[in-house]
Amino acid sequence: MILHTVASPFIIFQTDESEYKKQRTVYYNGIPLLVQQTETNEYEIVRLLSSDPQHYLTYEPGTKLCATSLQFMV
Amino acid sequence: MDERDISQEETKPSPTENIVQLGQTNVPQLSSDSTVHCLTIVGQIEGHIQLPPQNKTTKYEHIIPQIVAIEQNPNIEGLLVVLNTVGGDVEAGLAIAEMLASMSKPTVSIVLGGGHSIGVPIAVSCDYSFIAETATMTIHPIRLTGLVIGVPQTFEYLDKMQERVVNFVVKHSRISEEKFKELMFSKGNLTRDIGTNVVGTDAVKYGLIDEVGGLSQAMRKLRELIDHSNQQGAMLQ
Repeated sequence: MILHTVASPFIIFQTDESEYKKQRTVYYNGIPLLVQQTETNEYEIVRLLSSDPQHYLTYEPGTKLCATSLQFMV
Repeated sequence: MDERDISQEETKPSPTENIVQLGQTNVPQLSSDSTVHCLTIVGQIEGHIQLPPQNKTTKYEHIIPQIVAIEQNPNIEGLLVVLNTVGGDVEAGLAIAEMLASMSKPTVSIVLGGGHSIGVPIAVSCDYSFIAETATMTIHPIRLTGLVIGVPQTFEYLDKMQERVVNFVVKHSRISEEKFKELMFSKGNLTRDIGTNVVGTDAVKYGLIDEVGGLSQAMRKLRELIDHSNQQGAMLQ
């Protein structure tokens, strides 16, 4: 299938709304994190959003966090 | 030392737990807060449309408040900006670049891997810029995706947007407008596109970036700039 169009692929093949909901921005001990909900209802760090290099020595992507200790932004 | 270790263990997951999950261990932590903060501009610069979660994106709603916080925090003395970006939204990229350029604290940028497209203004916006020898920067004209109205005004709009990028880069680096435009509009360098892919040493040769170097050079320069601004602050008082 060839699509002759100027539109971006992401506009044509739109991602399902539920995909966006999996990832959330949270505060954990005052550190902003991008987390993803796992199948076991835990939250896994996807990315640290902090600019303090020290925070990167404390948490790293992949670490699982308990949902109760997270402070959700919006 | 021991006391601190004990208090941290209460909040942190145990090292063994991490090994089971990921094959990673926690690295030792330094006690004091860092006086140099680091902003990473990675993946795509996200504009007004949220990209699907599989894309790595730099969101301006994250970056801009961080820049404001860094500017305001008296404990932070300098900022290191690490770039590995493919570019993205022009307005969002220029917003980040303008914020960095208008900071009063010393800023040093380092391009690793790639600082393409709208990553170029961000790289040059800092007080001093570095590029890794193997890193590249793609300079190309602005393009528009989505619905385009086929009227001359569309071109004028794009041309004005292009001028903003060119002016910003020329103002914040040693490159001349003629040279930058020459690189931007040159043919035959990129497949299916107009522009030039500038590699490490060439970026310095053209005056786009200040120096070829890595992390240690960038940190040394940042320390130098911090010391210089501290001295100036002392003189004013």
